[in-house]
Parts: sequence; C-alpha cells; structure tokens
Amino acid sequence: MIQEARVMVRDGIPDSKGDEVLYEIHHALGISSVEKVRTAKVFRFEGIDEDAARFLAERLLTEEIFQSFRVNSTIINDAAFVIEVAYRPGVMNPEADSLMKSASDLGVDGLIAADSAWQYGFYGKNVTEADIERIVNSLLVNATVEYVVKESPETLIIQGSPGRTEIVPIRSMNDQQLIELSQDKLFLNLEEMRVIQNYFNSLDRDPTDCEIEIIAQTWSEHCGHKTFKARLIVDGKEKKPLLKRLRDATEESKNPLVLSAFVDNSGVMDFYDGMAICGKVETHNSPSAIEPYGGAMTGSGGVFRDIAGTGLGAKVIASTDMFCFAPPDLPAAEIPPGCLHPHYLLRRAIAGIRDYGNRMGIPTNNGSLHFHRDYRAKPTVIAGAYGILPAAACQKGQPQPGDRVMAMGGRTGRDGIHGATFSSGEMTDRTIDVNASAVQIGHPIEEKRMFDAILTARDEGLIRAITDCGAGGFASAVGEMGAETGARIALDLAPLKYPGLSPWEILLSESQERMVLAVAPEHVERLLEICRDYNVEVTVLGEFTGDGHFSATYDGRKVMDLDMNFLHDGLPQRVLSAAWKRPPLTELKIKAPADWPGLYKKVLGHLNVCSKEPIVRMYDHGVQGTNALPPFAGVHVDGPNDAAILTPILGKPYGLVISHGLNPVLNQIDPYYGSIWAATEAVANAVACGANPDEMVLIDNFIWPFPDEEQLGALDMAIDACVDFVRATGMPFISGKDSLSSTYRGKDGTVIKIPPVLCVSAFGRIPDAAKTVSADFKAAGSHIVLLGYRDTKEMAGSVYCQIHDAPGSNLPRINPDNLMPVLKTLYRTVSSRQLLACHDLSEGGLAVALAEMCFGGDTGAVINIPEDEDAINFLFNETAGCFLAEVPTGLKPAAIFGGIPCRIIGVTSTDKSITVKQSGDELFTLELNELKTAWQQPMKEVFR
Amino acid sequence: MKKPGVCVLRADGINCDEETFHAFENAGAKCAMVHVNQLRRGEENLSSYQILALPGGFSYGDDVHSGKILAVELTSFLKEQLNDFVHKGKLVIGICNGFQVLVRTGLLPYRRLGEIKTTLMVNSSGHFECRWVNLLVESTPCVFTRGMAGKIMSVQVANGGGKFYTAPDTLQDIENQGQVVFRYAGNDGSPTLLYPANPNGSLNAIAGICDSTGRIMGMMPHPERCVGKTQHPNWRRMSGDNSLCCQDIFKNAVEYARQM
Repeated sequence: MIQEARVMVRDGIPDSKGDEVLYEIHHALGISSVEKVRTAKVFRFEGIDEDAARFLAERLLTEEIFQSFRVNSTIINDAAFVIEVAYRPGVMNPEADSLMKSASDLGVDGLIAADSAWQYGFYGKNVTEADIERIVNSLLVNATVEYVVKESPETLIIQGSPGRTEIVPIRSMNDQQLIELSQDKLFLNLEEMRVIQNYFNSLDRDPTDCEIEIIAQTWSEHCGHKTFKARLIVDGKEKKPLLKRLRDATEESKNPLVLSAFVDNSGVMDFYDGMAICGKVETHNSPSAIEPYGGAMTGSGGVFRDIAGTGLGAKVIASTDMFCFAPPDLPAAEIPPGCLHPHYLLRRAIAGIRDYGNRMGIPTNNGSLHFHRDYRAKPTVIAGAYGILPAAACQKGQPQPGDRVMAMGGRTGRDGIHGATFSSGEMTDRTIDVNASAVQIGHPIEEKRMFDAILTARDEGLIRAITDCGAGGFASAVGEMGAETGARIALDLAPLKYPGLSPWEILLSESQERMVLAVAPEHVERLLEICRDYNVEVTVLGEFTGDGHFSATYDGRKVMDLDMNFLHDGLPQRVLSAAWKRPPLTELKIKAPADWPGLYKKVLGHLNVCSKEPIVRMYDHGVQGTNALPPFAGVHVDGPNDAAILTPILGKPYGLVISHGLNPVLNQIDPYYGSIWAATEAVANAVACGANPDEMVLIDNFIWPFPDEEQLGALDMAIDACVDFVRATGMPFISGKDSLSSTYRGKDGTVIKIPPVLCVSAFGRIPDAAKTVSADFKAAGSHIVLLGYRDTKEMAGSVYCQIHDAPGSNLPRINPDNLMPVLKTLYRTVSSRQLLACHDLSEGGLAVALAEMCFGGDTGAVINIPEDEDAINFLFNETAGCFLAEVPTGLKPAAIFGGIPCRIIGVTSTDKSITVKQSGDELFTLELNELKTAWQQPMKEVFR
Repeated sequence: MKKPGVCVLRADGINCDEETFHAFENAGAKCAMVHVNQLRRGEENLSSYQILALPGGFSYGDDVHSGKILAVELTSFLKEQLNDFVHKGKLVIGICNGFQVLVRTGLLPYRRLGEIKTTLMVNSSGHFECRWVNLLVESTPCVFTRGMAGKIMSVQVANGGGKFYTAPDTLQDIENQGQVVFRYAGNDGSPTLLYPANPNGSLNAIAGICDSTGRIMGMMPHPERCVGKTQHPNWRRMSGDNSLCCQDIFKNAVEYARQM
C-alpha cells in the first residue's frame, strides 16, 4: 500500500508558490473569481508503513518553522476546489531519487518507490468549474507529461514485459504500403523507402523493427541533413550543395584559430595557455512547440552534452538562448488548432532554460527574443553552449577495435522516442497527440554529476572517444562512433527506468542525460570507480569491432545486423530545385510624425526592442565567477550590453567574447541581405565590446520553413550570404545546424510558414578582458560619435516600418567588404582604452542605441541630426555594423577613427533627458524616466 | 607562510565549488575539493582541514527543500566529525545553497546538529533572482567580517529560495546576540525590506548570519563571485578597488585559520 504525506505552509505565512499561481490566474488568464491559492506537496511512498512515513514527514519533508503535514489524510480542507497534478507514470520525476536516498540515509528500510506531486487549493465564492478547467488546462497541466490525479495510485511501480522484435515484411510491400509504413513514424520519402526495400532484397531477408527504425533515424533530415547535402538546381542551374559551400568557405579562410570544424559535436577554437574553446548552438523547436518547459530544458541539456562530448570532453562554461515567438498578447482565437498560446510558450520555455542552466551551474549570459505573428504555430527555440578544454584533448576521438562501448548517466526509458524523425516532420494539428512520447523532463543534476565524472576521466586519460546520446539515442551515438570500425551491443545490458521496453525502444530511446564512451579495456575498471565516486551509473554495453557492422542482441538473440556503409552512405542524395521569388512589397512613405515622443516610446516599447531584464534576472548569469561583461550594467545595472565577455580561466585576464545576431523579418524581404545582416550583427555586437575581429569564429543555425522550391531558393541565398561574409571577413563557420521543418499544415488547409531564421553566433578571444567597454555612458560632456557605413533610406524591415505595418522592400544592403576596416578600427580604439562606451545599432536604430546608453549611464544626451538627413531615417534606420561611441572630451574623434566614416552627432549631458535637434530647431526633448518606462514595461507585464 | 587547509565540499548538484576554491586560494589558503562520498567512506576526514566551505549550487536538485538532502546526509553520517570540527574552533562558511545546508543541519544559528530553528524559504517573488545587491555589514563577533563593520558591499545574489524566515522569538534572540552579519541595503545604505534591493523578502532584511562564536557563517549572496577586478558588473565605472571587499571575507578566514 502507498503511504501519503501532505505538506503545506502554515496558516498566516505567505505561500509564494500559491501567490505565483494566483498572479498568473489574474494576469495571464484574466480570471478574477479566484481570490487565493494555497499549495501542498504530496509525497507517496511504497513499501513502508505509516509510522515510517510519519518519521519521514517529520525529519525530511516538513520544516515545522513554516510548514505542517498530514499523513494519509487531506490537508487543504477549506478550498472551493482542490486539484492535484502529478507527472504521468513513466515520466521521470527527478525528485524520486532524492527521496529514496534521504530515506535510506535516515535509516528507513524497505522503501521501494517514492513519488511527489502538487496540490492546489482554489479559494473564492464565485469560482466555477469552468474557471478551474481553464486554469488546469492552460496553466497547471501539460497533458504531455502531467495529469490530474483523481484517485491515489495503487502502486508506483511500472510493470511491463518487453514486446517482441517484429519482422517488417518490407520486401513484399507495394508503393502505397511503403508510404503508409513511413507516415507519422519514419518520415522518409518513397524513393528512400525503396532503397531500403532493395537493400533487404539483396540480403534476401526482411528487416527487424530495430533495423527499420535505426535506418529511418540515421536518414532523418535531423541527422542526415538531406537538404543541406542535396544536389541543388537553382533557377535551372546546378550549384554546389549548401553544406559543401559553407565548409569550403571555412577551409579557404585558413584561419589558424580553428582547431576543429564541423567534424565533432561542436567546433573548437584555440584559446590561451594551451586551452581551447568550443561552441555549439542547437535548435529544439518541435519539442518546445508541444511542451515548452521540457523542450527548452532538453534543448539546453542536449547542447551542454554536445560540449561535454567534444574532443575527449570539455567543461561547459556558458549557455545562450535565442527565441522567436508570436506576441504574448495574441488573441487565443488566432492560435491554430494543436498549438499552444505564445504567452504560455514564452514563460515555460524560459523557465526550462532557467531551471536547466541554473541547476547545472552554467551561466546563461547571452540571448535574445524576437516576436512575429507567424511563429504562432511553431516557435523557434535555439540554445547554445560554450566549453573549455585542453587543446591537446580537442580532437574527436576514434574508437579502436576492442574498445568497450560504455553508456554513462541516466537510465533509458520510453521517453523521447522518435525525436529525430519527429522533429524532421512538419507540424500538423495531430502532432501534439501522435508524438507525445517525443518530449521529456530533464534532470540537470544527473547531467551535472555525469560531467563531473567525465572531466575527471578525461584528465586521467581514460577516454578514447565520447559522444552524447541525443537524437536517435544509442542508435545514433554508437552508430556514429563505430562508423569506421563497427560495433556490437547487447541491448538487455542497458539500465532501464522501468521494465517493458522493446529492444527497438532501448535502441532508439532519447532519454536525456546519457553519453556513450569508447574506453580501452584496461581503463574500464578505473572508469567504474570514478563513476561510483560521483554517484553516476555506467555500464559496458558492448564493444567496437573491426567488422564494419552495427549489430545488436537482446537476451542473446540477434535483433539487428546492418552494414555501417549502408547505414551511413546508403541514403540517396536528393536532387532539389530552388527558386526564390521576390515578394511584392510596397514602400512605406516616411513622413515626420506629429507626435515625436509617442513614436520614440512606441519603438522603445516594441517587443523586439524592449528590455528583457526580467528574463535575464531569472537566469544565473554569474555562476562560475567568470563574467567580465554581464548582460546588464550601469548606474542602476539596467543598461543592456551587446555581448558577453567571460574570463573562463579564473585568475587570468584572457577573455572569451560571445554574441549573436538574427533578423527573421529581413529574411522575408530578401534572404541574402537578411543573412548578411545577421552575420554582421553578430560580429558587430562582439566588437562593440572589444572583441578582435581578426580572432573570431562563427556558428550557423538555419531554422526554416519546409524547404519547398521557394524556401529552398531562400536558403540558397542565405548560404551564399554566409559564404560571402566568410570571404570578406575571414571569420569562418566552425559548427552549425539546420532545422527545416517550421511549416504548419492545418486540417482546413491553413499553411503557416515561419519567417526564416538564420541565427549567427560569434565567439572570439582577447588577451585582456580589462581592455573592453560596456554600453553605458560614463560621463557628461563626452562626444557621441556615429561610426560605420549606412544609407539611412534603407528602412525596410525596421521596427519603425513594422509599427506602421509595412515591411517595405528597400532593406539595408550591407557590404561585408566595408565592414572589416570599421571593425578593426573600433577594436584598436577600444583595446587602447580610447572609448568610454560603445553600443552597436540594431533593432530600433540609433534612437534605441542612444536611449539604452543613456539608461545605463543615467546620463542625458543632446544630438543634432545632420541637415542632409531625414530625421526619421536617421533615428530609426537599422543598418548593422554601425556604432555609437562615447569619446572623452579631450580626444578628437576624426583623429582616433582614421579613415572610417565617423560623425560627431552630439554630447552627453547631466540633464536626465534626450534632446534631438535638426538645423538648430529642437524636434523634441524627452525625460529618460519616461523613455525607460516605455522600454521596460512590456516584459514586466509578462514576467512578474 | 603557513597555508590553512580548506575543504571545499562537493556533492551532486553543487556548482559553485570552483569559484569558491579560487576565492580561498587567492586569499592564501590551500584548498582541496572533497566529495561527500569520500567523507562517508572515510577516504577523507574533516580533521585534516581548518576551514570547511559549503559552496552554492543545487545540491541534490534542491529536492524537498533546498539543501535538505545534503543536510540529512551530513547529520546522518558525519555528525561526529562535524561536531568535532566545530568544537575545535575551526571555521565553517556556507554560501547560498551552503547556507541553506547549514540552517538545515542546525549548525546555524545555534551550533546544534538536528535542531532547525531558522529557514530559507522560496523567494517572495516566487522565482529565481540573479541580481547585484548592497549588503550592510553589521558589527558582530563574526570572524569572516572582521574590520568590515559598517561597510556596504556590492555582491550578487542568485537563488530561488533565499528568504530568511524564523519564529519571532528566535528572530529576537539572534538579533539580541548580534548574530546577523549581513542585511540587504537600499541605495542609502540602510537595511530595506523593499524588492528588489531585498531580493528575497527576508525578515529584517537578513542576508547572512553567524553562530554566537562567529566561526560559523552562512550567507545567501555570493562573495566568491567578486574577488577580482573584472567580476563586478560596473568595474568599468569604478576607480580603485571598491569591488574587492568581498575578498576580505576570505582573507579574514585565512588569517584567522593561520593562528590556529
């Protein structure tokens, strides 16, 4: 029988969790009938008696200073409604392990299982059942992983016996049957299905379900990058495959900083003192669309494992997050069937990033949020990570025949099955139901202790090769590691979360927090010891062979035997045609506004411009003690900076600069110039703070609608832009990822394509982090100097145009050849400490950059718009690669900036206001406080 | 010069160990990373050290209560070692999660293992808070803050459960005994209950306390994150070494331990 202990905050003491839920009920749902919410935690124990449960309640579960408990009886007794929410059976509750451990530490014997859940009591005379239903469905329960507990479970143990390994009679199938087999499960096309059929015809046997599944997984768009590797016919002419073009550009750049590009789980750049820095940026759009908290968590967890699985193991030192959502105030009626509201998505995705990164002790230092209506069906969720490792250990390891296949970390469950194939498919109104198992809840502590163990093992030289279990689970990890050698594993040796998994499920499970290592036999014993020291489970699953086959057994029976060559090279190269058509767009007629203050505040309060501080404050951005340029600084620590600067080796001055850029709206207008803008913005952000443009590398992330001819044409242009950018700047891409499934198809024929995203992340090194600047103005009386090339008439895609609902077509056409001289000059002036502050121009243009510098410095400014410039264009043009710099009074800007375009546009002042003049006339003066309120308000409304 | 030994305790989910290690080494100590498993198995013993540091993080995932699972482990398996350590007059510091562990073992405020008299609750805001705050250093017997009374420190908080709470009589008692070491302060330097200067909603603006001897100290903010010039968010606006008074906490401890 199950013992239940319920714990709650005593009467009269604030219940913060309840208050938080109440706030959301009032503000996110607009339900006013609920007057109070109280919460209680429910603990369940199996295998012990009531006395033991009472002992645990007293000694472990309850702090009597502020809490009370009941054993085996209700605790919230006076509420209008009480709802209990628990994880679904099979969804791992991370707390269960701790309950088991502490019970054992306290000497409680016999406990065989434990679980926990939350109860919510809703108070208020007028609360209706309909209110409760809405609260439950839109706030408290994500049906993918949680459920409302109606009656207490009889057992916490999940029973089950494994299904048999099935034979799939593929040889006898006709085309229709092949398509049916693929649909909703394999996501392969008919040609690919036929190749599989032919392969098994040649073997004279039918495949097992394991074999079919692993082929589908390896050949998925997610793992196989079929579009990026396809033969491409653009406007009738063949061009090199997308991926090839990018990689060739990297190779041609011959940048000596690059230690490893595109071959490992992340790209590696040289650092100082024999150390190297690696970086990787991943997307997790599909899981996040249906379960944002778990999706974002596992996004972070996955990209951290990519770092930990680089070379022979790296320490994760930074986390970044970039999101695109629909506006949080979008009317619920506009959300397509099967999709979640952006207000919920936004809050929950951020909570996921927060809870994973914070618990791992990895600072989240850099990120951004973009809003556009067309993300209402599918958001874009990007998570990046950076790591440090000895340069001597930074090359990808190669397993040798005889090395053991070792699985480390979390146990294998049914969660996350079909993640790789699922995220390669388009989203439909069925996605949320059919693919529920593709999402799970992360367990950051499991990952943290595993990383602690890995770094110890690496330093002792025990690791021959390592990779993470991401999409495709063991199938992908072992299959890729053993591609050159072959590998044999026994699936029944894998530790399971609960019994009942079929062999193919063990093979394909995407349970989080697992990694696979290749370890020479003589090191196995020592690795087991290290793992025991860190409370980490590790198991020998099999070994790397020399036979070129990937085979698996279950209870001694063979369930899979595939030729590695077929698995990795059997996928037919696609031939795709691409043709982008310029959309018909009309130009906005720019005219001076009647209400300058209103316009300025509207731009500052635009979702893509406004302060994101409430989010940043929930991320631990200071852990590890490495932050030399935090997300916000200044007099009130609320002025935003352009990049993160870390000093990853404590006590040394070496700086790592991290930044990024993206602008989906511009990609809709012109994917070439939109992409140039994104790359320019990424590096401009870094150099504005003091990064050296000669010592930087890049990461690409393409998040695109399904690549039909049109979208593939757009992608082709974006790649050309990247290649041109690399050639002009010498900054190579060293890692990247594509996710080409962000199209929604509704039952009623609705098609929603996201604005295409190219997110460029940049990272680089500087010898001394003390020779950098922040964006906040430091003094009154300084010159405010505008730097860089821009044609202010190029207004298309700007926030100004978006506010006027006319994107326009004349977008900023940045010439990357002009960029380097500007960046190099800026670097020279910053590193020689000639500037007091610097900020790059991006969304919202000069007006926003100026305001943000004033906010940080709590300093005013008076600027003069040149007579030959249109005031609107001058203030709100968004050409990346331009900067505002604060130059001390005594220095002459023209002298320090040499030959690059620079113009003194104004002066900082002690008045806490911004004054804008043209031709001697004052256009307007606005108080800083008023501007700041407009800029801070939007996110304060979404996040308390 | 003699380097006092610091045991930097590790356990599943502790994640501020390296910067705590660095802060103590920087202050002249000799640090060792010691996993709680090593203590449980007897491979390591607290008696080899003069200072025990419980770093921040999320020990065992903050499950049940933050710091609780580790506190149960320490009081179940290391009771004698801990009592011995404390009674020999050695130093204990708990930062953030380490502070949560100290109150949940009972070492704070009364140095009595198993007697939980104060607690750290979920923040009034209901969520994690990472921001720079001002701390007023009170005049106390605390050896970690010798010579710092009356100063205002700028330091980062980063926690989801740092709201200091206790029963009125206990609060009165620790105030009377001068055990409140740090209080959250507003821009004018005086203690405040107002968010966000008091980021957790702590009673009496309490950010850190010590035991009556001043040798056991716990605090929610993270002084170990600000022992070097570039670690403060506004180091570019500062002249001199204002930001470094966090380092004094570690220096005081090392200096005291040297005399042992």
